[in-house]
Formats: sequence, structure tokens, C-alpha cells
Amino acid sequence: MELDDLKGLINQKLMEGSPKMTENNFTLLLKGQASSVISKIKKSLWFEIACCALVVPLFLGIALFSSQSSLKIYFSLFGIIFIPFTLIFFYLLRKINEFDQSVLPIKENLYQLIKMLEDFTRRYFQFNMALLPICFLVALFLGYNEKEPIAVLDNLIDKLKVTKSLYIGFIVGYSIAMIFGLIFLTKWYIRKLYGKYIDQLKLLLAELKED
Amino acid sequence: MDYSEKEFIQLLNQNQKIVHKVCNLYLNWQEDKEDLFQEITLQAWKAYSQFRGDAKFSTWLYRVALNTAITFFRKDKKNAFIATVSEIPDLAHQLDRDPIEDKTKAMYKAIADLSKIDKAIVMLYLEDYSYAEISEIIGITANNIAVKMNRIKVKLREATLKNFERI
Repeated sequence: MELDDLKGLINQKLMEGSPKMTENNFTLLLKGQASSVISKIKKSLWFEIACCALVVPLFLGIALFSSQSSLKIYFSLFGIIFIPFTLIFFYLLRKINEFDQSVLPIKENLYQLIKMLEDFTRRYFQFNMALLPICFLVALFLGYNEKEPIAVLDNLIDKLKVTKSLYIGFIVGYSIAMIFGLIFLTKWYIRKLYGKYIDQLKLLLAELKED
Repeated sequence: MDYSEKEFIQLLNQNQKIVHKVCNLYLNWQEDKEDLFQEITLQAWKAYSQFRGDAKFSTWLYRVALNTAITFFRKDKKNAFIATVSEIPDLAHQLDRDPIEDKTKAMYKAIADLSKIDKAIVMLYLEDYSYAEISEIIGITANNIAVKMNRIKVKLREATLKNFERI
């Protein structure tokens, strides 16, 4: 029972049940939507770019026209940080488009696809994480410099008889929990979206290692 | 429709067997096969501008189709394809049982159980591509293809025997 003996029959069997397509069918197929991971990433990148394109002028506008210095600092920092990320997203999109139009050997294709996905997820993670320290430090700085007391918060602290050291401990604990929670959540989310797929591709690539 | 689209559709129409075979080899469910068929068609169209004609269109299409099929994953269903042996009608009770047909089914099931990469190599081997041509499509040396093919043949022989006994 050798493969060579059954070549013709297996070839026939591989065609069983396949409908004959006409040129009109193909014309219709070309109008359809792609559902590959690459096309999903492209959509995701376009979404990020659109968000950045909206947010950058909006935030810089607020920073420019706001009368409050805290708002100026906050929105100008965010407006500025979105600019390099917009450029990075455009760069990734260009790379993905180039890859999408190329027809590489299977091994090279797998390698490039894994590299691209890892690059995308890394940048996506960095983008999200870059906002964290800025949010945190800016909030600390602005809160420290805020001259107006917040009555509700002061009353609560008085009522609970919170000591200064306990208060600082709570702030530090809350900040650490928040930062690690967000890092974990972002990592989990990215892994859920692409992690399993990258692992499967890596297994396929490992199979093609030269003996 | 512009000239290049018309030309592409004509070429694809003439070579549609390749896309059908790849879809049947990699997926089981009709709905998934249709999705993969569309995905291969779109992928080939996107890359068509880079097709220079220095290779045969069929070889180029194999490369596109196999790359697309190998990186195509379905979340909900298993990638197990075609009918499993248990789904193959029990021919033992049929008087007009055809041993060649049984052997083909057993071999077909054995191919179905191969990994995605091994399936690609078998598919090209079935199309009578030389090891050198297969190595260009897969991206590893011809020697390595020969080694892999020998291993695959042994694997298929053993699996086919097992499957044949179960029919």
C-alpha cells in the first residue's frame, strides 16, 4: 500500500465534490472580504490610525485653547505621544501591505508572518504601556499642585481618621495594583487575540527546520 | 473589469483544480472550504501584480494556495478533514466491496492525519513536482524534502494499513 501506487486515485479523490466555478463566480469572489489574520490586523491598524488622527488635533487643540495649566499639560503630553505612534502604525501597515502582496516560499512566509505578528503585538503593548506612566505621573504631579482642596475627599479622610502614612500606603498600594493589573490585563488581551495563533505558526515553522 | 483582472480570472478559472484540491486537503467542512477558497482567490489577486511570469502560473498558484491554507485556522472546528474512518460506510457487509477503493480511502485518511506541512509536501508530490521544485515552494533544500518524503511514505504506509484493517 504505497503512496505511489494510489497517486492517480488520491488525486481524483481530492477533486470529489468540488463545484465547477465559472468566471462570473470568480468575479463575485473578488468582491468579497478577506478573513485572514493579516486583514484583521490591517483593520485594527487603520482603526488605531483613525483614532490617533482624531485624538492628536483634538488634544492639542484643548491644550492650546484651555485656560487651565493642568489641562494644558495633560492634553499636550497625550497629544504629542500619539504622534510617534501614528507613524509607527503607518510603518507597520506599509510592511503588512508589502508582505500581503508577496508570494514567498512557505518557510519564509511563516517566518515573516510570525515576525510581523510579534512586531505588531509588541508595538501594541508598548503603545498601551507608554500611556500608563504618563497618566500616573501627570496625575500625581497635577494632584500635588492642585491648590483647591477636594471637600468630599477631605471629609472622608477626617471621618475615617486616616493617618498620613496609611494614606500614602494606600496610594502606593493602589498605584502598584493598578499598574500590574493593567499590564496583566493588556498582556492577557493581546495573547488572547494573537498568542495562540503565533504559537501554532511557530510549531509549523519548527517542523521546517533543516535536519 | 480591467484587462489584468480579466486575465487573472481566466488563469484562475483554468487552474481552479489546484484551489479545490488544496481546500479539500486542508479542511473538512463545506462552509470552511468555501471560506478558504475565497481567501485563496483574494490572496492570489492581491499578489497577482507581483506575478512576473518567470514561473508557471500553476506553480505560483500552488505557492499562494498552500501559504494561505497553512496559515488559515478555524477557531470552532477541528482541522481534521474529510470523513474519518468511522464515518466511512462500513463496507464489510457489502458483497461488492472494492479493495482498491478501500485502500484509497485508507490512504486518504492517512494523508488527512498528516501535519499541515507534510500535507503540502504530499500534495506537490502527487502533482509530480520534482524535489527541486518542491524545495523552491516549501523553502527548504531538496535533500531535506527527499528525507521528509521518505519519512512521510513510511508514516503513510503504516497508517494506511491500520486504517485499512479498521474498514
